[in-house]
Amino acid sequence: MDLSYFIFLSSGLFLGWSLGANDAANVFGTAVGTKMVKFRTAAFIASLFIVIGAVFAGAGASRTLGQLGHINALPGAFMVALAAALSVYWMVKAAIPVSTSQAIVGAIVGWNIYSGKPTDLDIFFKITSTWVICPILSGLIATIIYFIIKWLLKYSRLHLIRQDSYTRIGLIIAGAFGAYALGANNIANVMGVFVDSSPFKGINYHGFSLNAAQILFLIGGLAISSGVYTYSRRVINTVGNGLMHMSPIVAWIVVVSQSLVLFIFASQGLQNFLLSHGLPALPLVPVSSSQAVIGAVVGIGIAKGGHGISWGTLGRIAIGWITTPAIAALVCFVSLFFLANVFNQIVFVP
Amino acid sequence: MFNVKVSFFSRTKSLENKIDLFHDKIIDAAMTFKKAMRIFLEEKRSDEYRKQSKQIKQIEHDADALRRDIENKLYIQNLIPDLRADVLHLVENLDKIINKFDEVTYKFYIERPDIPKEYHLRLTELCEQVADCAENMAIASRAFFRDFSTVRDYSQKVYFMEHESDLSSGRLQEAIYDSDIPLANKIQLGGLITEVADIADIAEDCVDELLIFTIKRDI
Repeated sequence: MDLSYFIFLSSGLFLGWSLGANDAANVFGTAVGTKMVKFRTAAFIASLFIVIGAVFAGAGASRTLGQLGHINALPGAFMVALAAALSVYWMVKAAIPVSTSQAIVGAIVGWNIYSGKPTDLDIFFKITSTWVICPILSGLIATIIYFIIKWLLKYSRLHLIRQDSYTRIGLIIAGAFGAYALGANNIANVMGVFVDSSPFKGINYHGFSLNAAQILFLIGGLAISSGVYTYSRRVINTVGNGLMHMSPIVAWIVVVSQSLVLFIFASQGLQNFLLSHGLPALPLVPVSSSQAVIGAVVGIGIAKGGHGISWGTLGRIAIGWITTPAIAALVCFVSLFFLANVFNQIVFVP
Repeated sequence: MFNVKVSFFSRTKSLENKIDLFHDKIIDAAMTFKKAMRIFLEEKRSDEYRKQSKQIKQIEHDADALRRDIENKLYIQNLIPDLRADVLHLVENLDKIINKFDEVTYKFYIERPDIPKEYHLRLTELCEQVADCAENMAIASRAFFRDFSTVRDYSQKVYFMEHESDLSSGRLQEAIYDSDIPLANKIQLGGLITEVADIADIAEDCVDELLIFTIKRDI
């Protein structure tokens, strides 16, 4: 295997690291922020389940992203991932929870513009529409769960100490599910652009088999895990404490809501089930876990009367939504120019 | 790693029982106080009163042990991190009510005040009011842990009983100072009545904070 492949893959790994640093906060930020789960425990569970989700359920969303831009040259894929990673990294440095999905979409569009290839507008609008659907859906789910839990707590007369134990276990289970859904949904952002140029061959060991894309997703999953361990604590503090004061139960509702949304947009099994029963299915698209969390928090905030929401923090996050893809597209376009003209790399095949 | 062990729920159950027991102690202290004061008015410092006074001391001692145990467990097991400070504060304040029962009973034992017969009924009434106030405080606090939607109902009873005890203690003090008993007795009785009424005041302070904690307890 050519060593240069790993050099080019490094930008994807960097993006994975950025995603781990940023998005683990969406899965465990509220749980750690409310001190219900220790950071070390959260980091371990998140890492494990992100890898499982990425390897075994990452294919669906990855396919959709591949349709947005067929990045046909490895140096081009390198720069697309690097541009997205840098955008996310700068946002993370500013402690703003950003969307890796939007960064990679911005970077792919930047590559399309540079290479003169048309952007598939159907796919583009399919993806961008989820930027709107995702937080709204998450907010709706969170509001429904909020009222159900409130009703249950009123009539179950659970002791505060027992309720605390259940919540703690619930946060860990929801966090594991959230990490699985995050890995399944967002691995496309990290490794999707490298799938076509993957040099790996499938492996089969005593009935346990991984195809070439899954090996790539495994490497990407490990990169995400390293981001979780090394840099996610700061963003966890922002998500856990910055947006709205949250009780541990509300934290649990937020994690469950965003996990369900990510799962809905990533699960091929669910899509097949819905289609086989003649029901409408949502597209398999990488969505922003940050948006899902914010949607859930705002949904609950509105259900509670809208008094506890820090609209200033929300505004800062919303600015990140717009600037992230724009920065990623611009950085990608300029960098592709340098890579092609200064380093004489083929960044696209006409 | 996950702190999810077979013993996890049994530990939780044990702490729940301790919190329940702690509330029982407040009710025990209130009931014993009522009984002790009735005995004092009938027999003054008799052996029976001494027994009741010792019983309240024992209740206070047990409550202290339970309080320390609850506080330690909450910290060591890192339970209810968001409400821990509130619960610790609540438990400390409830303990002050028990301490006050003990203090008042002991003061009557030490000072052996002469209480003219015509004040017995009013003093009994005051003691019952402060004891009821403390009991309702214990019930309100128990509700905070199990059924916080009813905290407000019991809190209202605490406020009502505290107000009644204020009126009773004021009327009693007025009657005593209007009487012909020696000034030294008046001052002594006035001081003791204030001490009795203070029990309801402490319960009222507790319930003020409890209502704030209840708002925070709501998801």
